[in-house]
Amino acid sequence: MRDPLSSTFAALADPTRRAILARLVLGETSVTELAKPFEMSMPAVSKHLKVLERAGLIARGREAQSRPCRLEPGPLKEAASWIEEYRQFWEASLDRLEDYLRKMKPAKTKGPRAQRSKTKSKE
Amino acid sequence: MAQSANAANAGTEFVFNRTFDASREDVWNAFTQPEHLKHWWGTPGASLEIAHHELKPGGLFHYCMKFPDGRAMWARFIFREIVAPQRLVWLNGFSDEHAGLTRNPWVPNFPLETLNTVTLSEQDGKTLLTITVVPFHAAGEETRIFAGGINGMKMGFGASFKVLADYLAQRS
Repeated sequence: MRDPLSSTFAALADPTRRAILARLVLGETSVTELAKPFEMSMPAVSKHLKVLERAGLIARGREAQSRPCRLEPGPLKEAASWIEEYRQFWEASLDRLEDYLRKMKPAKTKGPRAQRSKTKSKE
Repeated sequence: MAQSANAANAGTEFVFNRTFDASREDVWNAFTQPEHLKHWWGTPGASLEIAHHELKPGGLFHYCMKFPDGRAMWARFIFREIVAPQRLVWLNGFSDEHAGLTRNPWVPNFPLETLNTVTLSEQDGKTLLTITVVPFHAAGEETRIFAGGINGMKMGFGASFKVLADYLAQRS
């Protein structure tokens, strides 16, 4: 029932899975090779690989017994571009705020504007 | 300070800093008054129409972003803390035209609301703005998705992120 981006993000939320993906950026490799840097049992690593596979982030070969893993770039790219948009939304908002502040007449604090926002703003 | 908070909460917090060449009062006013907000807040390319703006704890800011192609997207703030001119805390979410909360249109499992905190501090006549975004009352799943999405790639891959970005760029 999950949308693809949510699946990608959920898979990325785990540091081990991120480390596995980072390793796969360097190229296809076997599960044994992948498990080496982690102090983790093979079944534990396999579990992470299953999550990654289900999220479409990796694919596993059928040919060899080792079933080598490789990165599937599609979902990662989609996630990266969404994150970039989120970041840009904030960057762009703050850019516009910066431009606007340049045009805005400085409030000389005690003016009518300061009175209007007279909440409990004593510092 | 924001940086260390960022590192300590890596994965669950999204932090932005910006320094403005303006007084703290001006930045505060730009952030809290509708006549200023409509000039800069919202999605680029959309014009902002403000349906409601009540700056008080529990108060609602309900607005619509109207795109040139006719699409409209509603969103809302519920203000939580207002300490002029230094701290503004609100719950941020998408909404319908009646200000009822709706899901993020792009990532439906994104937390329904995020808790956003803006702090303003004065530094040599300039104003440092820090925005922190954290999931609000999100279920475990939503929090994980926020963490994986917002910070997962950037922080988790660390140095490898450059490699990953290059890799992804090659495959386009």
